[in-house]
Amino acid sequence: MSTTSVLGGIVRRREDPALIQGTGAYVDDIKLPGELHAAFVRSPFARADITSVDASAALAMDGVRAVYTIDDVRDLGPLLAQVPVGALRPLLADGAVHHVGEAVAMVVADDRYVAQDAADAVVVEYEPREAVVTLKDSASDRVKVNDSLESNVLMSWAGPFGMEPDQIAEVKAGIDAGKARDDVVVVSQEMTNQRLIPVAIEPRAVLADYNAGYNSFNVWSSTQMPHALAGAVATMFGLPTTSVRVVAPEVGGGFGCKLNVYNDEILVAFASRHLGAPVRWTESRREAGNSTIQGRGWVATATLVGTRDGEIVGYELEGLADMGAYSQNFTVAIPFLGLFVGSGQYKMPTYWKIDCVATNTATTDAYRGAGRPEAIYYLERIIDMYAREIGLDPAEVRMKNFVPAAEFPAATSPLGFAMDTGDYATNLQALLDHYDYAGWRAEQEAARAEGRNVGIGLASYVEVCGFAPAGLADLGFSWSAYGLPTAFNGSGVVRVNPDGTATVVIGTGPSGQGHQTTWAQIVSDQLGIPFENIRVRHGDTAESPMGVGTFGSRSAAVDGSATYEAAARVREKAAKIAAHLLEASEEDIVFADGAAHVAGSPDSSVPWADIASVAYQPHKLPEGTEGGLETHVVYSPANATWPFGSHLAMVEVDADTGNVEILRYACMDDCGNVINPMIVDGQIHGGLAQGIGQALFEEAIYDEAGNLLSGSLVDYPIPTAGDLPAYELARTTTPTDINAMGVKGIGEAGTIGAAQTVVNAVVDALSPMGVRHIDMPLRPRKVWQAIQDARG
Amino acid sequence: MEIVRPTTLDDALAARDALPGADLLAGGTDLMVEVNFHHREPEHVIALRRVSEIAGWEGRRIGAGVTWTRMEKGPLRALAQLSRTVGSPQIRNAGTIGGNIGTASPAGDGLPYLAALDAEIEVASAGRGVRRLRWDEFLVGVKQTALRPDEIIIAAILPEVMPVAEEFAKVGVRNAMVISTVSACVMRMPDSTWRIALGSVAPTVIRARRAEELLGTTAAPRGSLLAEVADAVAAEVRPITDHRATEAYRRHASGVLVRRLVGRCAA
Repeated sequence: MSTTSVLGGIVRRREDPALIQGTGAYVDDIKLPGELHAAFVRSPFARADITSVDASAALAMDGVRAVYTIDDVRDLGPLLAQVPVGALRPLLADGAVHHVGEAVAMVVADDRYVAQDAADAVVVEYEPREAVVTLKDSASDRVKVNDSLESNVLMSWAGPFGMEPDQIAEVKAGIDAGKARDDVVVVSQEMTNQRLIPVAIEPRAVLADYNAGYNSFNVWSSTQMPHALAGAVATMFGLPTTSVRVVAPEVGGGFGCKLNVYNDEILVAFASRHLGAPVRWTESRREAGNSTIQGRGWVATATLVGTRDGEIVGYELEGLADMGAYSQNFTVAIPFLGLFVGSGQYKMPTYWKIDCVATNTATTDAYRGAGRPEAIYYLERIIDMYAREIGLDPAEVRMKNFVPAAEFPAATSPLGFAMDTGDYATNLQALLDHYDYAGWRAEQEAARAEGRNVGIGLASYVEVCGFAPAGLADLGFSWSAYGLPTAFNGSGVVRVNPDGTATVVIGTGPSGQGHQTTWAQIVSDQLGIPFENIRVRHGDTAESPMGVGTFGSRSAAVDGSATYEAAARVREKAAKIAAHLLEASEEDIVFADGAAHVAGSPDSSVPWADIASVAYQPHKLPEGTEGGLETHVVYSPANATWPFGSHLAMVEVDADTGNVEILRYACMDDCGNVINPMIVDGQIHGGLAQGIGQALFEEAIYDEAGNLLSGSLVDYPIPTAGDLPAYELARTTTPTDINAMGVKGIGEAGTIGAAQTVVNAVVDALSPMGVRHIDMPLRPRKVWQAIQDARG
Repeated sequence: MEIVRPTTLDDALAARDALPGADLLAGGTDLMVEVNFHHREPEHVIALRRVSEIAGWEGRRIGAGVTWTRMEKGPLRALAQLSRTVGSPQIRNAGTIGGNIGTASPAGDGLPYLAALDAEIEVASAGRGVRRLRWDEFLVGVKQTALRPDEIIIAAILPEVMPVAEEFAKVGVRNAMVISTVSACVMRMPDSTWRIALGSVAPTVIRARRAEELLGTTAAPRGSLLAEVADAVAAEVRPITDHRATEAYRRHASGVLVRRLVGRCAA
């Protein structure tokens, strides 16, 4: 790898001035002349049959252009889903509703106020039916979530992965046999990993403009996957993909909730075509709770079998995962991502089975971490319980059971997945040494002696990212449902422009991740073109030949690798031209400081502007060299990447009120090589906030009728700066051998690492009182109640 | 929806007289939420922000239009403490003490302070002029007040005798920007008596009279007396169970909060 100054150095995020000063354009900032506004009539019932929809009063209102029901759009078919297992969502409710907030009709009017008032004037008659809200109730199939389902249990993910059912049963039988040994303890706990609402600061928004002359659509959407949306619009309206241009401008946070094609996006496009005018829709915060995807929602029992001296004999996880009412983009595939990391950093026989269960609630899908935080939570909680049970330090138990460093690269996890690189013991030891773990424990003892309830939590994690490995493309890791039969590969176009500046076009787009900075660093490092002369373009399907999108901590490892390779190829060609201009040998050309130099001849150089100018004038090029200076690389990773780390938290619990205060939070993450430490730190900060938010505050609470009780930000408390500690960050570096830059991914690590670290700490604080487990979120009332219950 | 925007108190009262059912708009932090959720669909709104007579704060008289931001920076310790816990800075720039009194939510953050002080609420109408009601005459139920349809809240009037020590605290799900699960204000007066008021634990803000009696004129309560006070508070409050907290937790937390605040106010 080249070692010029930019890569691996702190470069301030070039997108921040626009984002902070309000000059960046989000969907709602883009205004088209004559645009109309959509609003939705949404179901107040979790389950009901619709007996009539009367839009006459709404249609009679001034400024109302149209009211659409399923009869207008049934021909387009249901909303496309990448993993179409379970009930697919009709574009508008078709005779029945299956969750509160389901869209029943769409009103289009001259402005948003009229549209909303008219939506309220649409009269829908419902015949309410019994809703199925809780997982165990649903799994019993006592009542079907949807008449079209044969069972509410849509499918199961069982492992080890790749084994036949009888082989999996053998693994399970082996663990069961271990339970009978007389030298082991068996620790088991049912735990809830509660449902969460993603809460992007910018709600979803979409603006569609149909051009009748070209029979084409322009769509602006706050999405993480513009190419998939373009494919979906083209597929559903029967157009070639070239007739649909989707732009994802500035996107104000996604966290997975914008990693879906939504019915509103299709419907707004439909209305624009029908009415011959641009149509927009911007989600309200309440709609964000009821109608956009949620995440997590598992109830499962973790069981760990281990000897009294800390050797784990087997681990099992069995449970249910909430899919909600309809399957959308990935829905049932999310627990699969949990299966990938289900055995964590450990070498131990592992049996794993999660059933995907439908309920009459909002759809679930990818939320930051997506299956991996859930899987790691159960594992790391039960390991903590085991350590307490046998009276060993939780760090020691982990150390004893790690997959040894010697098995890497390409170690196979107990659940059957090939992991790239790892050195877990070194990482954990670095955590313990760097932060003086022994000192923390001494501090805890001193605090306890003063009567303070101070606890320390430790948890280790692996994540899997960089999707998708070539080997998984055939398993459905592609946008084929949206008419784009591309695997989840990386795309990078690097073009040196005639004036010697460079334009980079990538297939992922940021919703806060700093792509404009990171990709300019990658290309500047390769070409020696100054950082400020490199412009990174993203999120526009007309510019980028292909794109998968930003999710799953994949951008740097996959599209970054594509860009890195594209830049290397541009450099090769530029070296040829420079050698020609400098009358030197191609092998002696080096690029730095905005120019090509001849190694060993300091006076002999040619600036990029001159190389580029010649590149665009073929008659000045050496014979056999084509004009232009641009390369597109599609990169197919050989494997996923497996970042890892260990976190440490110290908390103090106020036993009188149940309030939890995080005194310290310390990380030792390993995401391979780092392109920009400041951006990596920022990703960890945000991820930790969301993980801590799950541990302490957040929960999508449904009542027995399927009403979301915590749909507003009054009742859905995301953490504020005042609730969070000053994070202490440090890293070990174990580069991946999968890609040339050695980068793994960091977008979700904080979220995957945090929740169980905090819960472990709280339980550690309360264990002298006999508290063994508290389900998240650890709100004061629940913590206090757990103390009361433990005290009897 | 028609919006009247008077600039003088006389004009505001005249508008109120002419439109007795009109909704009063100060910072809008309560009213606009209700409008957004269709809980209220006003035909007429009288906007009070331009009325200069209610915007001032002089000594014991806090104009109805005084914002949380001003109270947060003001000289009264517990009032500043509670003001800091209200919403975000944007909300505190908009929300007013008058609006908090008028909404009369059991969780109104300013109300325990007024209750502990036995403050009066000054109201006015075009026809009947000015009258003053003690806080417990004014706050009569959940979001219900003694304000007549032609009246506007003018000010909160604090007593001449102010406490020598005053403390406010609340328990919520997180540290800021949250509806309180329990809030409490405790004061020690110059004559060594105690005042204890709590929010979110009854249909209106309440005084914990039994606990006040137990404390008597003990300047520095300790040990078993504090425990008795906490128990008395837990018994006196009348909380509900909802998805934010249970009755048992609210009772317990009320006692804990008061015990701690008494400790902080002790001589």
